[in-house]
Amino acid sequence: MAPLPNPSMHWIALQPLSPEGVDLPNDFVALGWWALQFSPKVARVNVGMGVAAGEVLVMEVSASERLFGGRTRLLACLFQSQGPAVPVKYARGSTSLIAISRLALTPNPSAPNRDLPDAAPRVAPDDLPLETLAAALPHLGTLARVGCTRWGELRALPRGGVVRRFGLDLLDALDRAYGLKPELYPWLVLPEVFEAKLELDHQIGAAPALMFGAQRLLKNLQLWLQLRHNGVLALELGWTMDARRNTATQGALTVRTAEPTQDIVHLQRLLGENLAHTQLPAPVLYLHLRTLQTEKLAGKSASLLIEDLQKGDSLHQMLERVSARLGTDSVLQLQQRADHRPEHTQSWRPVFDASKFIAQNQIKTGARGIKGSKNGSSGNQNAPTAFSATSQDHQLYPTWLLTKPMALLVKNSIPFYLGPLTLLAGPQRIEAGWWGPAADDGDCALRDYYIARNLQTGLVWIYRERLGGVAKSNASDTPWYLHGLFG
Amino acid sequence: MSPSSSILLQDIDDVWTASELATSQGKVIPTGSPELNAQLPDGGWPVGALVEILQDQSGQNDWRLLLPALAKTTGVLTLVGAPHAPFASALAGQGLNPHRLLCINTDMPSNRMWATEQALRCTEVTAVLAWLPLARAEQLRRLQMSAAEHSKLLFVMRPVKAQNESSPAVLRLITSNPAQGDALLVTIFKRRGPPLAQTLVLAARPARLGALLALGDLSTPCSMEEKIADASIHTFIEKLSTLQRAGIAPGRSSRFSVL
Repeated sequence: MAPLPNPSMHWIALQPLSPEGVDLPNDFVALGWWALQFSPKVARVNVGMGVAAGEVLVMEVSASERLFGGRTRLLACLFQSQGPAVPVKYARGSTSLIAISRLALTPNPSAPNRDLPDAAPRVAPDDLPLETLAAALPHLGTLARVGCTRWGELRALPRGGVVRRFGLDLLDALDRAYGLKPELYPWLVLPEVFEAKLELDHQIGAAPALMFGAQRLLKNLQLWLQLRHNGVLALELGWTMDARRNTATQGALTVRTAEPTQDIVHLQRLLGENLAHTQLPAPVLYLHLRTLQTEKLAGKSASLLIEDLQKGDSLHQMLERVSARLGTDSVLQLQQRADHRPEHTQSWRPVFDASKFIAQNQIKTGARGIKGSKNGSSGNQNAPTAFSATSQDHQLYPTWLLTKPMALLVKNSIPFYLGPLTLLAGPQRIEAGWWGPAADDGDCALRDYYIARNLQTGLVWIYRERLGGVAKSNASDTPWYLHGLFG
Repeated sequence: MSPSSSILLQDIDDVWTASELATSQGKVIPTGSPELNAQLPDGGWPVGALVEILQDQSGQNDWRLLLPALAKTTGVLTLVGAPHAPFASALAGQGLNPHRLLCINTDMPSNRMWATEQALRCTEVTAVLAWLPLARAEQLRRLQMSAAEHSKLLFVMRPVKAQNESSPAVLRLITSNPAQGDALLVTIFKRRGPPLAQTLVLAARPARLGALLALGDLSTPCSMEEKIADASIHTFIEKLSTLQRAGIAPGRSSRFSVL
């Protein structure tokens, strides 16, 4: 008798069970990617007609057993601790065809749960029925009349006769089933760009309700990112209306992050915030998720010291989240300019580039993309030093500055702001802006600044306009403006 | 009982009497003013706790009180709902790098709460200043728990009428200005320990500005009892020496002249 199949190979055949409402094509793809975490040899096999109809996923895990600490531990890992997202039924065997046959014999569990022990019957290869061998399906009738219903009986037939009568395919399949020939499949490979579609169960009219479908797509995205060791920089969530009911229109929403990230919770939050602001013109039936830009992830370098362990969100995530919810104009950082007019010295701009904000602050952050870590150290070095000069004089400036100077009521040549103001110190003359055209850089400023005080507000910073270059002698005409508050 | 065996309660280390301030509750940041440090438990602003500052008008005394302490910290400083735009040159002059500032401007109270909480959860942020006039006690409690969990400095500015509401803050103070003079009056009415009966009077001005104002016959806090109209030669010499100590040489044409 020919030797039994080589027990050193370990194949597992998986088939997702399909309860109601499960999206089969997406889940099969996700199952394939999940399987890729454990072994590089994963393949989709089309079993065709027969008892085990449809597609089956096979994976060969003998090479990974040592990494996971043994066969039993690997199986526990596969099906209990890091189990697949959808319920599956599985079977094991020394060759893939044995596993597929055993899978066909496995009954569908009535209440699928993950702790089910190996329900596949440990049928010896010789006793497996011939209808589970895909290559024997066209010849089942003839073989039955010859008296072969089991693999062992087919194997006992003379090889030359089988080839002449049934063709080389059947003998080849039998050899592969018994491990005498190597089994080669086109192994699964991760795509370069992640794209996934989802058909929703029912039409959805409100944009925030799209989050449920988007979450399922994001889970697949997370798997894909982890397997490729990539972080996503930009992704697009698109939707299509039902073509039969409306003129088929589409819409899309792009979400960008500053740093490549694998954090799906953060992406979920960003998508949620953006969807809350979106209006859908018509009910949506299809969703698709696509990555526009990804980058290799450099990884976080952690510290062994307890005080360096920082829990909390990173600055990038916080800025993105707050900008998404409150609008980009709400989160502002300083941008300085060299100008004598106080309102032009600074402008508060939205934080578009969180990396630059961090570089200006020379803050040490954790993970960055590979590109970020090269550029981060060469941030804007000029900014902090410009403020260190004449810092003693700058103590005389007010800490709050009004964006637009407020005109003050003047009575009897005394300016009023919640009460009469008494001038304490001054004048500080600032003349600037006379060189450019008025439309170009703001207006010409000819001002005398004073520190004044009143009972309600304390110290204020006011100025008097010197119009036309000549201080008006008639003091009641001079306009007074409030520009800053001390404190 | 013989007097030698009587032990005073205060001498036992493990017994705390209600008239003492709490100690060793956590990290503190010194406030920059020795009088204020002496009155705060542990000698500074508590890190990881909510500090409430009540004042009549938003922005009246915020930087005066907080800037010396914040200038010593590093990391991002977040302002949520600030009443006006901070003036970067002035802050830089007092030692705070204005590039550290992150201003979040939003009007709705719920958005301000949410933004404060997000800022507290961020690792790079070390201090959050929030102007929350319409905050309720349970919202403040959430902020306090966030601050404690992430060990951040949190200062919430509210109007004076919130004094009578209950609040979970560990430190509550009222700031105001006197009718005469440029001092800063601080009333601490809640802290870990007995409330402070008297009002603290602090100068709380940067050195250069304080000297300039002193030159202008504005009473310094330590001499509140002096009459302003007293033009004796001793007062004049005192003020000259104050100027010299602050680095302004009188007699040279400085930018500011006194009116």
